[in-house]
Amino acid sequence: MNAKSAMNDIAVTHLSATDESAALEQLHELGCTDGLPVIIPTPERVARMVLASGYDAELALGSMGPGGGVASIEKVAIAAVMAGCKTDYMPIVLAAVRAVIDPQFDLTEMQATTHCTAPLIIVNGPARHSCGPIACSFGALGPGFRPNASIGRALRLAMINIGGAKPGVSDMALLGHPGKFTYCLGEDEENSPLPPLHSARGFSPEDSTVTVIGAEAPHSVMFSGDADNPESPNALLDVLAIGLANLATNNAILRGGNAVVVLNPDHANVLAGAGLDRAAIQQALFERAAHPVEDMMRVAPGLASRSKDGEQAPKRAFRQADDILVLMAGGSGLYSMVMPSWCAGPNKNSAVTVAIEIDQFCEVPGMSSN
Amino acid sequence: MRDGINIAKRGIPAVALVTEDFWPQGDFVAESFGMPDVPRVRIPHPIAGSGDANMRRVAEQVVPAIIDALKQAHVPPQNL
Repeated sequence: MNAKSAMNDIAVTHLSATDESAALEQLHELGCTDGLPVIIPTPERVARMVLASGYDAELALGSMGPGGGVASIEKVAIAAVMAGCKTDYMPIVLAAVRAVIDPQFDLTEMQATTHCTAPLIIVNGPARHSCGPIACSFGALGPGFRPNASIGRALRLAMINIGGAKPGVSDMALLGHPGKFTYCLGEDEENSPLPPLHSARGFSPEDSTVTVIGAEAPHSVMFSGDADNPESPNALLDVLAIGLANLATNNAILRGGNAVVVLNPDHANVLAGAGLDRAAIQQALFERAAHPVEDMMRVAPGLASRSKDGEQAPKRAFRQADDILVLMAGGSGLYSMVMPSWCAGPNKNSAVTVAIEIDQFCEVPGMSSN
Repeated sequence: MRDGINIAKRGIPAVALVTEDFWPQGDFVAESFGMPDVPRVRIPHPIAGSGDANMRRVAEQVVPAIIDALKQAHVPPQNL
């Protein structure tokens, strides 16, 4: 049998093996997997995935650092096949790759850093249904959902095999985190009191988008609302801000990056019930995410001293309120999630939102389940 | 490492200081950016936060190697 693997130019390398088991062992030995078994990217499977994309196999989306491999449609299709994607998911995988290639994302530096950062893929709009369904509610970041699991994994395999990220050689994450296997969820737009995230990032609610942000593992934020206590929404904002930018985070010390707040439905309703829209929530978190200079210097003198503005007022973790991404996902209960970020790279590893090009998708009868 | 490569590509002699643990990454980056022979000098790991006295000791040890590397540094015209 034959299989394909990506190289650092537009051409792909064709490998041969006696059967799929031998091919799998070969891919593991070559360092082309994430350590888990993959679907063997046979020429037939890759061709189907390319066909579904609606683009030519050789179309180059850009190069992926630090290795500088060319992300062609065919190579991304190889990653999608290996990850276990249905052809239906290909538009989201392509959007995620286009997002991390955007220079604002600092992919080369992000892949090489010692920090644990991994690309969190947030899916918005109708594609959550037509290209998934992407899980948005209970356990959306956990196991059990093929679209979430395989789309995030496809991006990781592209980062490994096209971008050249190999642990301890070119990906210098000291430990990494489990989101480096896969890290993808949708916003629960239908049940959220807030308008969808992408509508605050220059898109119409009818558009479908992927927002990618380099993120730490999710940090749980526990909060129990009290409808009789008018201070309850403020208490929720307080604990969210502590999670987002406590003094152990890069956000607090290096400052100027993005971060994510994933409100559960209960918490979203506590804030919306207090009359707060997304902008007001972002502003409240922005104002709370700040630390006195003396506190920063006490815990991180060598890093915090890089700040040269000389101000003595508490230093804000974020440049602007919009740098805090706020969305609703997950089940109903006590826990929301926050994801601090790396906050380094020439562009601070900025979050990027791109359209999912559903119009290009080519539905191939009988092939959507492959 | 990339700083060293980017400076060398501008025609300015440069030497990258790379700690022991990051030496393989240095090789990878040098190869990826098309300058596999960009000058670099190996220093102990870790260096950040290892104290002023240690950093001075390391500096004294590696200065001759840095000077040697600078003497040999050449910038291929095609990379200017």
